[in-house]
Formats: sequence, structure tokens, C-alpha cells
Amino acid sequence: MAKELITGNVAAAWGVRLANVDYVPAFPITPQTEIIETLSQWFDDGIMNGKFVTMDSEHSMVTAAGAASATGARVFTATSSQGLLYALEVLYTIAGWRVPLVMVNVSRALASPITLEPDHNDILSARDSGFLQIHTETCQEVMDSVLMAYRIAEDNKVLLPFLINMDGYYLSFTREPVEIPSREKVKEFLPPYNPTHAFFHASTPMSQGVAVLGGPTYSYFKYQMHMASQNAIEVHNTAADDFNLIFGRKYGVIEEYRMDDADYVIVMSNTFATKGKTAVDRFRDKGIKVGLLRLRLVRPFPGKEITAALKHRKGVAVIDQNISVGSGGIFYNEIASSLYNETKRPVMLSFIGGLGGKDISFIEFQKVLNDTIMASETGIVPATQLLYTESEWQQMKKLLEIAGKTRQ
Amino acid sequence: MESDTKYKRLKDLSREEFILPGTTVCGGCGGLEALRLFHKVLGKNVVFVNAAGCFTLLALFPYSPFRGSWLYTNMASAPAGAQGVRDALDILIASGRLKPEDDMKVVVLAGDGSTYDMALSSTSGAIFRDLDFYYFCYDNEAYGNTGMQMSSASPYGSMTTTSKPAHLSTAGTRSHKKDIFEIWRAHKPPYIATISPRHPVDLSEKVSRSMQYKGPKLFIAFSPCPTGWMYDPSLTVKIARLAVDTGIWALKEAINGEVKHTYIPSKFKPVEEYLMTQGRFNHLFYPVRQDKILEDIREDINSYWEQYKK
Amino acid sequence: MMIRIRFHGRGGHGIKTASRIAGTAASMEGFNVQDFPLYGAERRGAPLTAYTRISDGTIFERGIISSPDIVIIADDSLIEDPMADPLNGADTNTIIIINTNRPHDISEGLAARGRVFLIDATEISMSVIGKGSAISAAMGAAACRVTGLINKATVEKAVVKELTSIGISSEEIIRKNVEVAGTCFDSLPSFEIITRAETSQLLTKTIVLPYEAPAISTPNVIASGNIIERKTGKWRTFRPVINYDKCNHCWICFVWCPDGVISLDDKEFPHIDYDHCKGCLICYEECPIKAITVERESSSNEQ
Repeated sequence: MAKELITGNVAAAWGVRLANVDYVPAFPITPQTEIIETLSQWFDDGIMNGKFVTMDSEHSMVTAAGAASATGARVFTATSSQGLLYALEVLYTIAGWRVPLVMVNVSRALASPITLEPDHNDILSARDSGFLQIHTETCQEVMDSVLMAYRIAEDNKVLLPFLINMDGYYLSFTREPVEIPSREKVKEFLPPYNPTHAFFHASTPMSQGVAVLGGPTYSYFKYQMHMASQNAIEVHNTAADDFNLIFGRKYGVIEEYRMDDADYVIVMSNTFATKGKTAVDRFRDKGIKVGLLRLRLVRPFPGKEITAALKHRKGVAVIDQNISVGSGGIFYNEIASSLYNETKRPVMLSFIGGLGGKDISFIEFQKVLNDTIMASETGIVPATQLLYTESEWQQMKKLLEIAGKTRQ
Repeated sequence: MESDTKYKRLKDLSREEFILPGTTVCGGCGGLEALRLFHKVLGKNVVFVNAAGCFTLLALFPYSPFRGSWLYTNMASAPAGAQGVRDALDILIASGRLKPEDDMKVVVLAGDGSTYDMALSSTSGAIFRDLDFYYFCYDNEAYGNTGMQMSSASPYGSMTTTSKPAHLSTAGTRSHKKDIFEIWRAHKPPYIATISPRHPVDLSEKVSRSMQYKGPKLFIAFSPCPTGWMYDPSLTVKIARLAVDTGIWALKEAINGEVKHTYIPSKFKPVEEYLMTQGRFNHLFYPVRQDKILEDIREDINSYWEQYKK
Repeated sequence: MMIRIRFHGRGGHGIKTASRIAGTAASMEGFNVQDFPLYGAERRGAPLTAYTRISDGTIFERGIISSPDIVIIADDSLIEDPMADPLNGADTNTIIIINTNRPHDISEGLAARGRVFLIDATEISMSVIGKGSAISAAMGAAACRVTGLINKATVEKAVVKELTSIGISSEEIIRKNVEVAGTCFDSLPSFEIITRAETSQLLTKTIVLPYEAPAISTPNVIASGNIIERKTGKWRTFRPVINYDKCNHCWICFVWCPDGVISLDDKEFPHIDYDHCKGCLICYEECPIKAITVERESSSNEQ
């Protein structure tokens, strides 16, 4: 099958087009805008049927998306960074309606200071909302994940909304060859959406998202969401098998790269995992047994699969491209708690790298590996460390000087 | 035009009920009274899209008072929710997945806190996009559901729990009620009206008239609130009548932007008659009468009506 | 020693203030105190609950009181109201104070429910203040009295403090409330409270919540209009009664009933659905020919 050279944004739009999405409420934000520009064109050209509508904010956009999905349409929307946070309360609201819409987040670090390049504090701020999450590494995976997301989200064992994450610039504006399947093949993979739990028909009145009073009622509905989310691991795996059969590409809830005999594992997510894989190759060339685990399905969190992949290693380093200010790396904490009850478990080190799109150079991977080996030998584990180089520090000092700041 | 009038007297109103009794709202709620009359005209096939407020608790699990449908959204974005529902219904009908007879009228149901303050942006967006929907604002002139804090719909001189009369501000609320009617009108929707539960024929006729227009049809319902305004619940209708008769609540509509008053009292009653019925204005009369503030309120009313006399 | 008091009332009774009067009075007497109200979605007229804990030591409890030592019921119609369920968790040692004007019916029904005492606080309040709806001072004083721990003078001080704090500025109204509090205080005996540990937790066991399909587990209601099962008629203190000899079927009461509980028959005569009428009395106020009268709710008209 022929491959097209397209950006991550356009790949996302292709996933939406192939999924026969009915409705796209939108609001522009860099670096996501190309997705909605592309979809807008396709609706205007009559290539896609249904409606594209520009809303007045992300808050309104996600409300309209959720409401349309609660009416029974197949819905897509996209945002980034500040936009996701502006809509955050609505994410919780519509997840409670159990509506299986798909939303792409193009990661961009959060203000302040305002910036454009990626890290994952935006998408991870939605981690407790009830949305499922897949984090992607390639443009192909973006398109494939959109299709898989509808299939998983609309499954009766799940029925929760889905967020697909791609890194701003690193995927959103990066062109790569992407295999675009035929509509017929997609139909085989993704049946039409016919909800029985959330719809509006005059002949069957429904009061949706009604208020509840009292902890037992609230707890029931909330925990059902949690169990539905956990069902998504099994549903994902079935969908992934079908996807492989039909399209010939196989996705796991996690990706294990050169991990078969690895003593040490670096854990990463999204596009920077590619940098990590390159580093792993270089370490392997030197004969060091290192592998990389890429987190892909982030909600539900595949703690069991991660534990199975890591528990018998000597050392694990988690590079978080996010920071929970005052606590540290978000993934580090989640993975550590997954491993905690294992009698045999590796030492675990926490690094913060790539904030605001800061590059992670080989020198820094070297540091990560050295510390991990050292810790596994001594049992002494350093506290969370920021990956930052001497030359970056020198440059930063210059910028501070230009900004008129003088040190005592 | 006269011959088109559907509602001429009380007995033209529908005897069918669309909101069943048993709800948790206060006895004597003026907003519920207005909504009940409004719903009689729209009929059963309605989906309410609700913003946080007193009426969020109309549907309280496991109960619903509606014969139609309901969606609770958020305080700031019910009009955006209406957009999603309307668009999805249109898409499903156009693609043959929903029978045309399963269509519904989409109605935003929001209080003044949402309408005048938090949801202004999403309402502006919905009107701008010419969304085919109804907007019903039950205006009880404060954040009633949280216990009567000041909103931008609170009238000058009223007491709320965040604008109590005090040594430095004897008026209570010092700001003047936001003119949401004119803000909406600047967007040029086909139909806007103010309504009052005391004037059910006027109310019904307006709703009925609005139904011929496609696009935004917006209503602000005067909603006397016994709990928040501090009066005996039996007086809801009397207070609504006094509001109109003193000129403090104007009954009007704007069809494609053109304003017309649908009822003008031949002689306005003194506004004190209205104010003195409610505890929230008590401080204007006791322990001492605050003539300056009363004069300001009269002046507001006069200058409003002056502009329509020319 | 810890005394747990649970107050049941309807919105407008002043139950939160009653719990605070008890809390403040006990605090003035040197006890450790905790008080709090639980608001639901319910409004004026609907059931609500407030709690006061009084102890001579540190209070290691929070939240609702499920095994009360004292239950104060501000309106006898609450006893039968499943949303209020005021006798829940009470046992034969619990002191139950009920505000009622129909002592005979109540005593009979509750004979087996332990130490029940009846008081017509509404009547006391009406005779002193002229209004019988807000009875916070009466209920707060009743609670204080039966603890046997609090002096009358302290209760009166607490009434002044709490009523002032909710914005009542009229000295006359406060003085009359103090009088009501004193009368209620004197009309009840004091008790040796037999306190015990919270026990209700032991009556159930934990389960593992099963997963249920979204058609079940989405927070929606498909039984549209089922709110009719909630009988808001219990909210009423007064009921409107239509005199059909006078009624000229003008539709006014039907049109202006906010809750739509007045329906018209074939001859256009109005009928009030007393299961749901909240007793706002707009119909009484608006009836142009005074064909509607008002009666205080009592057992005799409850059929």
C-alpha cells in the first residue's frame, strides 16, 4: 500500500475522516490548528458528511462535543495545552455522561512562562478525568490510534471518551510517511456507533447527567467509570489484534524496545522515546544490556503489564517529560506504586527531561544510565534530578544577563 | 396581526402539564411558575440543556419531573451544549438515523448567574452562530442556589448575602442591573422577550410568536424568589404584578431587533409599593428611610421609560 | 461523656440555628462542641438535618450522627417522611422530642420507641412571636434542656448570640425568641443521658461493587416524570382548601400554581393534589372571590 508524506496533524485528520465522524466542534490553538483546518476543508468540500463548527472557546467546544455525543453522533475534537486546561471541568462532566468521543491533544508546555514546545503537563492534567489516553510516537501511530480509540471507546464494556496525545512540532508539524488504509478496511475494523445508554429521541425521553445527592450514589457512578476504564485494557488488546489482522500493524498497551535481556530499562513516552531508542542502540553497541519501555496506553494505567516488564530488572530510570511541582515526575510515581508490592523489584530513579521541549542529548542519557547502574550496585538511589547540561546553563546565564538580572 | 394572536385569555392556556410535581424547588418559586407556563406552549418534545443553578435540582437522581429530555452541562456552557445537541439531532435526522418525529426543541435553562455572568461568552457564541434554540433565563436577581449572593442581575439597592447594607454601603447592592436584553439584542437574534409569570397570556403569546422564527429565541423570566427575596411564598404573583405595575420590570419583545413593549401600565405605581413587599429592600425603609437611594431607583425607572416616549 | 444530638426539620424551621444554639450554649458551659448542618438539594419546606456533639473530652468524630442520644423533630410530619427518616438509629435509650399539636396520635404511634416527649413549640412561638414557622430558639432550648448539662440563663445567652449572628437586628424579636426558648426549656425535664458508641456501622458488611453496563451505570433517568413519586405534600404547614360552593372556575388558581398541583375537571372546577401541594398558598392569595381558605395541617384533615 502506498504511503503518503503527511504531518501528525494531517494524520489525525485522516483518522477522523476514515472513522466517518459526524461532528467536529473546533477552536484554534497552536500547534493543533492544522487538524481543524484540514477537517474544515473536507467538510466544506463534501468529502466528510455532517458538520464542522467553530466554537467560542475550548470550554464551549468540549461541551458541544460531549452534548453531540450524548445525542448519539460520532464526534471528534482537538486542542492543545492551555485549551485543554480551559476545558478541564467539561472533561470531567462529559466523561461522566459516558460519551465515547475522541479528542486529540497536541502537547505543548503550560504557561507560565507561556511557550510553544511540548511537554506533557497538559495531557497529564486530564489523567484523573475519566478520559482514556494513548500517547503516540509516530505520525502513523497517531492515525491508527484515532481509529483504535473509537473502537475501544464505543465498546459497551468501556463507553468513555478518549484522548490521543501527540507532541507539538515533533509530530504535529513533522511529516513522515503514513499508510492510509481504504474506507472499506476501516469499516471492517470499526462498526457504526449506535448507543443504547446516551441519546436524545423525543419518543424515548432521557434525563442525562442528573444531579445526585449522597455519597453512596456518587460513589457508585464514579467507581463504575473506573471499572469501565480498567476494562479498556482487555478491549484494547482485542482491538489491537483485529487491527493487526486488518492493517498489519500491532500495538501494545506498552512498547518494549530491546528489552528481552535488559538489565536496565529507561522508561519514556511520546516522541522523545525515539531519542531514547537511539541512545539504547548506542549503549547496546557498547555491550550494555539496556532497553526502553515506552508508555502508550496511559489511561487506564497498565500497571500489571508494566510490572511484568520491569520487576526482574536491575535498575529502571523513568524520564518524565512533565513535572508535578512539589512532587516530581508523574509517571515515576505511578510506576513505582505499580511495582511496590513485588518482592523482587529494581531500583528506580527519577529524571525530569524535555520540559518545554528541551532536547535530551546523548550526554544526558549517559548520565541516566550511569546513575542507574551505580544505584543498582550500591542500593543508594538519588532523588529526582533535572536533566540539564553545562552549555544550556551557560546560555541561560547569558539570557538572564540580557534580561537585566545581575547576581550578587 | 391581531388575528394571529393565539392566546387572548387565561382559558386559552393548555391544561396539560409538562413538569410534574414533586420537585425539590421552594414552594412559591416564581421561576418554576414561569417555566411551567413556558413549557405549556412549547409542548412535550423538548430537551433542556441546563446550567448549574437552582433548577439543576429539578432532575435529581433517581427522579425526573420532565416528560421530555434533559442534559446537565456546566454553569458556563449550556448554550454550547445546546449547539452540540441541536447539531447532532440535525445530523442524525439528515443521515436517516433519527426519525424526523423524534426531533426536539432545544432549550437552554439557566439562571441569572449563568446568563448574566459566567455563560455570557457561550451565549454570545450561540447567538452569533444563529443556533436554532430557545433560551429560558429564570432571573431571580442573585446566585440563588448558593444562598443569594450578588450577581450582575442584582438590582441596585437590594440586599444579597455578599452585598449587605453596611456602614460604608447603605444601599446594599451598589451596582446597577446589567441590561442583558440589550446585550443580546446587539447580536441581532430574531426573537427576544422579557416575560413574567403574572402575565401568562402575554408570556404564552410571546413563546408562541417566537416559534415561527428559526434561530435564537431568548427569554428572560422575572422570577420572584420567596427564599432569597425574603417574602411569604403566597405573595409571588402579587410581587410579579407590582414589578410590572411600578415599571421596574418592563414587558417587551424585540423581533429582529425592533423593541416593542407588550404591556405598559396606564399609570405607574410608586416603586416603594414593590420594594416594601420584600425583605431584601427592608434596609431602604428601616431603621431610617433612605430617600436618596429610593430617588436613584425611581430615576432609573424613569430614564428607562423616557427613552421609549420619544 | 459524649452527647450526640440530631435535629430534623424542614427548610425554614431554623434547624441549623437550633443546632448552633445548642452548640454555643454547651460551649459557654465549658464543654467541647461540634455542630454542623447537612443541606441537600432541598429547599424551603424540604427535610434537612443538623447535628450537635457535646463532650467533656476531645471529640474524635465527624459528620453525620447515626446513633443519636437525642433526636429533635421540628415537625411531626417528618416522622413518616422517608427522605427524613428521623428515628433512624434511635433506640430505647434515645430521647426523642417532637414538636406537634396532635399529641395523642404521636404518642400512640411511638409508644415503643423509647423516651418520647412532645411539645407544641409552634403554638408557643405563635403565641409569643405571632409566627410559628421559625422555631430555632424553641428547638435549640429543648435540646439543651434534656441534656441536663446546660443552665437556662446560658441557653438564653446562646439564643441572643446565634440570632444576632444570622442578621436579626430587632431587639424585640430577639427578646421574644428568648422568651420562647425559656418557655420550652421549662416545659421539659432534664435527663441522665445514657450515651453509647456509634453502632450503626456494625449492622452491615462491605461488598465488592460489580461492574454494570453503561445502559445501567450512566447517571441518567429514563423513567421520565417519575418525580411524582416524591410526595412534597409533607412540606406543608398550612393547606389551601377550596370551597366549591363559592368557586366560579375562573382558572386563576390553576394557572398560578408554580408546581402544577391544581388540575381542572370537566366542569373546570379546580382540584388540589394534596400529595404534592407544598403549601405556598399563592392560590389562596390570588383567588379573586376568596373561595379558598387556609387550614393548619393536623391529623384530622389528613385523608
